[in-house]
Amino acid sequence: MRHYYLSFFLLLCGTALAQTPTDGLMMPQGQLCILGQYSNSKWENYWQGETKRSNLNLGSLTTQNAMLMGNYGISKNLNAMIGLPYVWTSSDVSYITGQKGIQDLSVFVKYQALEMAAAGGTFKVQATGGLSTPLSNYTPDILPFSIGLHSQTASLRAILNYTADFGLYVTAQAGHTWRSTTKLDRDAYIFNNELIYSDEMPVPNLFDYSARLGFIKPRFQAEVWYDSYTGLSGDDIRYNEAPQASNKMAAAQAGVFGKYFITKRLGLLATISQVLSGRNVGESLSWTVGATYFLDINKKGDEEVGK
Amino acid sequence: MKKINISYFVVTMLGIWITFSQCDKTPPENPAFEPYAETSLDANAGNWKTYLTIDSNKTAVPTPDAAGSAAYLTELDNLRSKMAAATAEEKELAVWWGGNGVLRWHEIARELAANYNVPPNYVYDTTGNPVYPALVFNPANPDAYPRVPFTNPPVTSRMLALLAVAQYDALVACWHRKFQHNRLAPYKNATDIQPLIPVSDLPSYPSEDAVVAAASREILKFIFPREVANVIAKAEEHKNSRLWAGANVQSDLSAGDSLGRVIALNVINEWAKKDKMGAANNQANYPNLKADANARGITQLWTSRDIPSRPPMLPFFGNVKTWNFDEATKISLRPPVPPQPGSAELEADLNELRNIAKNRTREQQRITTFWADGAGSYTPPGHWNRRAGELIYEKQFNEIRSARAMALVNTALEDAGITCWDVKYFYLLPRPTEIDPKVTTGTGIPNFPAYTSGHSTFSAAGAEVLSYLFPEHAGDLQAMAKEASNSRIYGCIHYRVDCEVGLEVGKKVGEYAVIRGRNDGSE
Repeated sequence: MRHYYLSFFLLLCGTALAQTPTDGLMMPQGQLCILGQYSNSKWENYWQGETKRSNLNLGSLTTQNAMLMGNYGISKNLNAMIGLPYVWTSSDVSYITGQKGIQDLSVFVKYQALEMAAAGGTFKVQATGGLSTPLSNYTPDILPFSIGLHSQTASLRAILNYTADFGLYVTAQAGHTWRSTTKLDRDAYIFNNELIYSDEMPVPNLFDYSARLGFIKPRFQAEVWYDSYTGLSGDDIRYNEAPQASNKMAAAQAGVFGKYFITKRLGLLATISQVLSGRNVGESLSWTVGATYFLDINKKGDEEVGK
Repeated sequence: MKKINISYFVVTMLGIWITFSQCDKTPPENPAFEPYAETSLDANAGNWKTYLTIDSNKTAVPTPDAAGSAAYLTELDNLRSKMAAATAEEKELAVWWGGNGVLRWHEIARELAANYNVPPNYVYDTTGNPVYPALVFNPANPDAYPRVPFTNPPVTSRMLALLAVAQYDALVACWHRKFQHNRLAPYKNATDIQPLIPVSDLPSYPSEDAVVAAASREILKFIFPREVANVIAKAEEHKNSRLWAGANVQSDLSAGDSLGRVIALNVINEWAKKDKMGAANNQANYPNLKADANARGITQLWTSRDIPSRPPMLPFFGNVKTWNFDEATKISLRPPVPPQPGSAELEADLNELRNIAKNRTREQQRITTFWADGAGSYTPPGHWNRRAGELIYEKQFNEIRSARAMALVNTALEDAGITCWDVKYFYLLPRPTEIDPKVTTGTGIPNFPAYTSGHSTFSAAGAEVLSYLFPEHAGDLQAMAKEASNSRIYGCIHYRVDCEVGLEVGKKVGEYAVIRGRNDGSE
């Protein structure tokens, strides 16, 4: 029911120098990119299992997210990223108190295994490894109002990118996310019609993939993307009940992303996306606005900016 | 060089994925509840006081074949064959059922309660208006939603009480016959029969397990029409588990089954069909309750917070027959009229809630959710039923003492529900959020009036009876009841006055079950 929790989805930084855990770009050595962004995700319809419905008692649910992120070029082929979101939820109809708080800290390391000239452009192969952990004691047990599932995660993904010299690029990536169990406030719950006497709930692992097509220049970037993820196990939201962390959540969504550099160091970005189909998630319309700023941590890296 | 890197890299990534994507994603195993041997046989339990009058002609069982008879020797041979043929899974089931059949059936009942505890969703009628569908079981389409019954807290409290009473009454009759016929268990008659579970000197005829299986089966069939086949299969499994375990011969089981069935049908016909539950959801008469309240000077009446407005939950459950006291006593337990909206007292309670709604702590939210026992749960009566089972297991009660404890607790819980519902629809006090929408809540707002708190009434009654049965736990039980009660304030769905008065009334309700317990011949 929630839109994608994992912070990496919200990480967007840099342009010609942009890079996220899922894109095909790398930060040059010695460069630090700092991102601040705001995201808003709203849904009225959701999928109870595979049945699409709405709920007059819930109205539309909005999840907002303020995120701070840093990305540092350790070397030309190795980047490290860190992100921390503050999340808050609300409904326009429900009497349930919206939840708010610092969500999960995530760190990623991105490694470029291959970069070679090919067919009038550059072909790159990269891998990203990530870890995330909740930084506050928020409850995962009042979905869809909870700000997250309060699970620790580890992810691995592979990225293929081809960028033509004149700026057109395509990126394909796929990843797997392992998620730890979560601890509920309840000490009994139903899982697949069985009553479980425990506060420990399994959270399904995820497989995701995405494809991006865009145009990139030193001062701007524009992209369309398609993203799909699916829980690899789990149960469905039961008839007329609230979702829970064990649900098999899946969604396919499409989006448009744009970025423009006002100065060499300051960039503005925006994204809009729509969930097209799903299971146990909301049919979210999401948008993001943000700004990035570049800092030189050492002089050596400076000369590479804008290359 | 680059090429080597990349293929090494791809293979590593694939390897890691294949290794870890197979991770086990099933929930933790439930507590095992290992079988134990009874420490006391309670040989006189056949004389304990039953809840319903039992015609002893109906509980007579045929005189069993003597130990040396050819018929019995054949039964022993059949038992040896059953034991030898038992699969590993059947041996596991023998152990699963082998500890305490009473508690196992309550576990099954709680799981059913949790699965059926779902309020109906609205549907759109021909004019496009959202309306709630009628709750009627359709045998032609049993899987359609909403499913029947909707095991909300009153329905669950009654289901658990009927189950516990049928088990208890049936076991009293069973004990009477056991010590009348005094048949030794098969492992006492034939030393080569080595039971898979701890055993005692309890006479084996009729089998107490078959009695409990049959009594439980009949009650759950009566309550859950969609589960008839499953419940029958569970009862067969329970009875067969005694063969796989080497604990009973077939005639022990057959006699037990017929006895358990007779007593359960007695409970269904003489109680469940006459307790006025059939009229508890009489929505047509609900306006009369409102008019009565108006006539008593109560002007601002509760309305549903659901969209669309949902008919009140079981407005006449307060008229259902109580177990441990009579109608006049129930009326005498009615607390005084609560402070009305606009009064300084209720405003003070509302201020407390406004504050909590704005600044609910994480711990307050945890307590709210822990005790919420809302849709998809076994409800507050189920929560106390579970606690009772845990304490019975801890003290290793024998089968009949387990049934007695469960009957005392679960009749008190239903009495608490009835008494509380009587009060709720007598005073019809609006929920806090209805008075002030700024009072946002930490859990769903139940679809019935506020005063008094059901959680508080159920919990105080449950804690009172369990404190009598397990005095060494009185302190923690009372603390649990207080926390359950507070959880409704933290969740902002009840005023403090609802909870405090609910606790007081619930305690009194529990005391009546304790009085019964002190006088049932078991002490």
